[in-house]
Amino acid sequence: MINLTINGIPMSVEEGTTILEAARTADIRIPTLCYLKDRNQIASCRMCVVEVAGRSNLVASCNTPVEEGMEVTTDNDRIFRARKTALDLIMAKHGLETIAPCFSCNKNGACELQDLCREFGLEKSSFYVKKDPEPVLDSNPFLSYNPNLCIACQRCVGACNNGAHNHILQMKREGLKTIVDAPFGEYWKFTTCESCGNCAEACPTGALTLKRRKEYREWEVEKVLTTCPHCAVGCQYYLVVKDGKIVNAEAADGPANHGLTCVKGRSASFDFVNSPQRLTTPLIKNKETGQFEKATWDEALDLVASKFLELKEKYGPDSLAGFACARSTNEDIYMFQKMVRTCFGTNNTDNCARVCHSSTVSGLAITLGSGAMTNTIEDITRDSDVIMLVGSNPEEAHPVIGMQIREAVEKGTKLIVVDPRDTQLTQKADIHLKLRPGTNVAFANGMMHIILEEGLEDKAFIESRTENFEALREMVKSYTPERVGEICHVDPDRLREAARMYAKAKAAPICYCLGVTEHSTGTEGVMSLSNLAMLCGKLGRPGCGVNPIRGQNNVQGACDMGAQPSDFPGYQKVANPDVIAKFEKAWGVKLNTKEGLKATDCFPAMLEGKIKGLFIFGEDPIRTDPDTHHVEKALKSLDFLVMDELFLTETAKYADVVLPGRSYAEKEGTFSNTERRVQRVRKAVTIKGDTRLDTDIFIDLMNRMGYPQPHMTAAEIMDEVASVTPSFAGISHKRLDSEEVAGRGLQWPCTGTDHPGTPILHVGKFSRGLGLFQPSEYRDPAEMPDEEYPLILMTGRILYHYNACAMTDKTPGLNEIANSSFIEINQKDASEKGIRDGDRVKVSSRRGELTTTARVSDKTYPGECWMPFHFQDGNANLLTNAALDNISRAPEYKVCAIKVQKA
Amino acid sequence: MSKIMITSPKNTNTQLKSFLEKFERRIQATPPGICPIVLQISLLEECRSQTCTKCVPCRDGIPQLVEILKKIGQCQGTRDDLEQARTLAELIRDTSDCAIGYDAGAMVLEGMETFREEYEMHLNYSRCNFDIKQSVPCETMCPAHVNVPGYIALVEEGRYGDAVNMVRKDNPFPTACALICEHPCEEKCRRTIIDSPINIRGIKKFAVDQAHADQVPCPQANPSTGRKVAVIGAGPSGLTCAYFLALMGHHVDVYEEKSKPGGMLRYGIPAYRFPRERLDEDISAILSVGNIEIKCNTPVGAQQMSRFMEEYDGIYVAIGAHTEKKLRIDNVDAGNVISAVNILREIGDGNYPDFTDKNVVIVGGGNVAMDCARTSVRCGAKSVSIVYRRRKEDMTALPEEIESAVAEGVELITLQAPIGVETDEQGNCRALLVQPQMIGPVKGGRPAPVNANKPQEKIQADVILLAVGQDVVCQPFEEFGMKTERNCFKATPYLEAEGFDKLFVGGDCQTGPATVIKAVAAGKVAARNIDEYMGYHHKLNCGVETPLPKENDRTPKGRVNIAERPARVRKNDFKSVEIEMSLEEAIQECGRCLRCDHYGCGSMEGGRVTYD
Repeated sequence: MINLTINGIPMSVEEGTTILEAARTADIRIPTLCYLKDRNQIASCRMCVVEVAGRSNLVASCNTPVEEGMEVTTDNDRIFRARKTALDLIMAKHGLETIAPCFSCNKNGACELQDLCREFGLEKSSFYVKKDPEPVLDSNPFLSYNPNLCIACQRCVGACNNGAHNHILQMKREGLKTIVDAPFGEYWKFTTCESCGNCAEACPTGALTLKRRKEYREWEVEKVLTTCPHCAVGCQYYLVVKDGKIVNAEAADGPANHGLTCVKGRSASFDFVNSPQRLTTPLIKNKETGQFEKATWDEALDLVASKFLELKEKYGPDSLAGFACARSTNEDIYMFQKMVRTCFGTNNTDNCARVCHSSTVSGLAITLGSGAMTNTIEDITRDSDVIMLVGSNPEEAHPVIGMQIREAVEKGTKLIVVDPRDTQLTQKADIHLKLRPGTNVAFANGMMHIILEEGLEDKAFIESRTENFEALREMVKSYTPERVGEICHVDPDRLREAARMYAKAKAAPICYCLGVTEHSTGTEGVMSLSNLAMLCGKLGRPGCGVNPIRGQNNVQGACDMGAQPSDFPGYQKVANPDVIAKFEKAWGVKLNTKEGLKATDCFPAMLEGKIKGLFIFGEDPIRTDPDTHHVEKALKSLDFLVMDELFLTETAKYADVVLPGRSYAEKEGTFSNTERRVQRVRKAVTIKGDTRLDTDIFIDLMNRMGYPQPHMTAAEIMDEVASVTPSFAGISHKRLDSEEVAGRGLQWPCTGTDHPGTPILHVGKFSRGLGLFQPSEYRDPAEMPDEEYPLILMTGRILYHYNACAMTDKTPGLNEIANSSFIEINQKDASEKGIRDGDRVKVSSRRGELTTTARVSDKTYPGECWMPFHFQDGNANLLTNAALDNISRAPEYKVCAIKVQKA
Repeated sequence: MSKIMITSPKNTNTQLKSFLEKFERRIQATPPGICPIVLQISLLEECRSQTCTKCVPCRDGIPQLVEILKKIGQCQGTRDDLEQARTLAELIRDTSDCAIGYDAGAMVLEGMETFREEYEMHLNYSRCNFDIKQSVPCETMCPAHVNVPGYIALVEEGRYGDAVNMVRKDNPFPTACALICEHPCEEKCRRTIIDSPINIRGIKKFAVDQAHADQVPCPQANPSTGRKVAVIGAGPSGLTCAYFLALMGHHVDVYEEKSKPGGMLRYGIPAYRFPRERLDEDISAILSVGNIEIKCNTPVGAQQMSRFMEEYDGIYVAIGAHTEKKLRIDNVDAGNVISAVNILREIGDGNYPDFTDKNVVIVGGGNVAMDCARTSVRCGAKSVSIVYRRRKEDMTALPEEIESAVAEGVELITLQAPIGVETDEQGNCRALLVQPQMIGPVKGGRPAPVNANKPQEKIQADVILLAVGQDVVCQPFEEFGMKTERNCFKATPYLEAEGFDKLFVGGDCQTGPATVIKAVAAGKVAARNIDEYMGYHHKLNCGVETPLPKENDRTPKGRVNIAERPARVRKNDFKSVEIEMSLEEAIQECGRCLRCDHYGCGSMEGGRVTYD
């Protein structure tokens, strides 16, 4: 600790603390302008100058570290004069007279320069002010740069380079002056700018702004702190609300996002809320015309309740099923599965984790005892010395994690990327193992073979904390680097290097995503990674772990809340009679003791006539599930399909009744992010029309179906969750909103109201007791390329859209950036077929065909292609294979055989 | 993987390098007489171009400061502008991150103090100070304001005798200055803009080598006025004064304490730099004017001064600085510890010491130290070392003198401060005791040494020569009533001794040890003012016209330097070390002259600075 005095006040702060930070700990105000903690500490503006005894100059407090015995003065005449003169110079540069008066600026009222000028009594600059305006760069759909108002504080540059780590914004010299080289002009599309807007948020003036600011003035709005509804990073941000309408989003300093957002969070998380395409009244399909007709809630709910009761009566409770929405709140999902279990009388409830991370949930539950991310985003990106990414492209799928991984790598953390495709991160990786799709198990076994052969395993950890090691040792013996190299199409030496790098690291997390889980061997892939981490003792401590990065905002919560055929909330097993008894007591009804069908097994069951009635809450399987034609047939074969939706989606078109629910911006609740962090969702607006809270819809239906479910607020529902779910026992809205939690959420297990939550799982002991080595042999993917379909197709996500685009395509700016399907194909394959970059091509598999645009590159190896799954003008799921993992029943989105021809 | 590029060797920085050399030369050649505020602005503009633009005070402050200073520079500024400029400069100095910024602020503030008078003129009278005007650089920089372009043009035409007389118009020591002048005339030579300064001394040397001064008739003296002037000291200042007074028609008695005239030219400068016969050429030319009587071996004291005040119509005291400065170290009075002044004086009278088999140590870093060292070499010393407490680059000797000394085998022992002398049983020195130094912070414009944390050392020494400065023997004249300050005589800017009329004083004894050309300048000024004092205003005509100028030669060329005899040969004798320039060399060198007396400001009213 370093001792110093500021304004005579003695204090003791950690070495490396700046004078500014030290002053702030004592609530001593030092004005700043260019300072952005950790992002921009270049000391440009000199507003923060202070006097240090013994130094003749005034020092910038924002980047001067404290020294022992330092005597700092933060305010006197000399300091005031210096600050005011600096401000005067900045005002001259700000060029108010060049453009327009303050009141015409979008940032009027939210301008830090304006605030400082008021504080220092500066009305206009006493220096020379330039008069000729320069052109404004505003071709980007979201962002605009007005160089005339730029004060060159470089906060935007800091935000881009040290926050988003995207390295797009730089300063550009124009002779005697320097301005921000902002890529928002005419050629904006040709840069790698992600339009994340962190720069605009950093700008203290009206120079670099989000265009949306035009729509409101700072004093006209209220800001509602909530959680982003896209991926599972769980970014905290404020929805900016004017006159009951969301007009903008501003990042908050959340535990997972540290003040950052991606383009989707900032610019595409609320347009859909007020979209004219929103459903605002219940719809019932006229059987004769096949057209939807508007209905009252009573008509709709009566019909739904009576129809489900009728089917239950006629075909038994297991003829019904309900898919919960992984985008909705924990409270919604809890009430939904409660409805399915208590009223439908079945465990046929699931959520879309089935088609993404169900392999994780089942795999890690087997090996570790808990199917969730073991560590936190913060510790894996800040406390690790090697990060191993397997089948994960966080820069596009989880952009704010991507930003933090970029930061880690730039600060010296080594990176191993295991991915069949070149991504931005593979360029920064120390090792890129560009393996053949579907060969993760062989890869992991090969790593373990090398680690054991070279004696790099953590013997003490294996001895004290695991079981079944010998079986693993035996199994991996045959996975020599040469054999694995052949299976995976990677250089054996490169595999050796990766094994050594991972095993020898003090702290190294494995982070993986759908490249591991969405295979017919997905669960085995997950368990193999778990084996690898255990073998090296990299579990139960910071910067380590097995870390599935979940795909949707609340897919973790959907699993946690029991929207699973085998699990009640908190992974309490249906198979366990004690659990059944417990819930029968809690819910006051007799429960079905038979495990339900997994969603992916439901579709074949529909075709077989085993499932007659289905309630889909906010999912669009027609677009998102593999083998669209197969899904179509299944849905058509149902007797009765109910949708609770925001929009009339592709799937909703097949429904008999569509119920208009509410989005995250219209309700209270919680989401659980990928790190098991339960964070608040808060109501920002109410939209026009006859929508209802989803929990109210379920409760009304439950009552209509004969279950006396009283109406409850979201907070009350969470209290009920806590009462029946040991791992949520300490979680309540009240506690989440408290000063104790301070906006950091609570990470389950949180077993009591005094339990602080669990950032890192398996510390000292695995959830299942001993960690289980579960050896798995490599198997080929279900469908391998052959002469007819010679190419492998993988699917994935791009930065600018979210899954089926239901939310993101309501933001015109995103559609301007990306709105059309494409296929990435290797140059060699393309030239053999005479396909050039940009050509229209016909892509077909055994299940369907589509036409799309070719993007020819070396991003994939010859014989391998990749498509985004977002776009309906060429939906990849027409092609994908519904081959299922034998344990989790996750489909093999990541490998199917196709052929590509010129269209 | 992400590739990185090797930094190209042919990047802008290397291209900038040669450009910057031009820039540096342009700055070196800054003509005398430019407005310091304007100079500050242009330096500040350079600071502005250097800013990385990170910090507000530097990035925005410097351009704004340029604008304000421009207003003041253009004499349109107000006191408020000056105050705003000061506040802004303080901000820049106190809050900029790096030297580009803070030193720019400090530079402006320092300039505001240094050039206060100029700022006041701009603010109060909307004009520059009266001395702010450009003039011919060489002529202006020469303390005697010799018509340099004139004699260069004459040399180029082969008119060597006329060149000598053109020099004599202002300086009756053409040979002395040709051989040993420190040539301040070259400092701001405009030719530097194109390549490098003209070798002006070299051209003059070529002239006097072709036309020896005693062979070139001086101008005719005026008819006798019947006035008598006493000059005390037959050094360059006294003899210059005598020369011009004699030309004006006055009679001059020159009183000299030593046995021969010439002052420091004889008793301070060794013959290998300035052969005695060459000195005699200048002196005999001066005496050829007539009306000058040199009384050698005639020291002047207070009594004589009182008498002279009665007997003479004017008196010029130019006694030089001929006594040694003392070094305060232990045992400094030991045997064989000799002052430089004394040994050079002995040599001046032809008494060369024999240093055979002696280890000679010289203390000091000035030209005199080099003279002592090189003389010791020639006197057969076994080893010659110069001990200096600063670094080589801090030595006040001319770099070429140091280089020549080293070439002749002199060893430089730097960063060693003498602290005492170790003696043998006979009380003679045996070694010089020194304390190692390290160079420290700048004090008074020079980096000052401080004691290093190292043990004392011993440097073997059979002879120690102390060359740590000279002093004026003021005492007899103080007794007479002349006023002194820091052991130099006080005089008005007209060289009138304070408190007296008819008594003038100049040269080293008034300024402290300086250069020959400054002494010459003082002698000329004194002569003019004594003439005026006596009620005359004699004009002197050198009888030579400056040739018409030719077109400037704009092609960059190398500077012809004066070659020296090889060190291994020259160190064995006291003959001149310098070799004569060839005709081609001299003509090429003359051809580089830009004739600033004609081109540029020289032809303008006020464009020449002279002592006519």
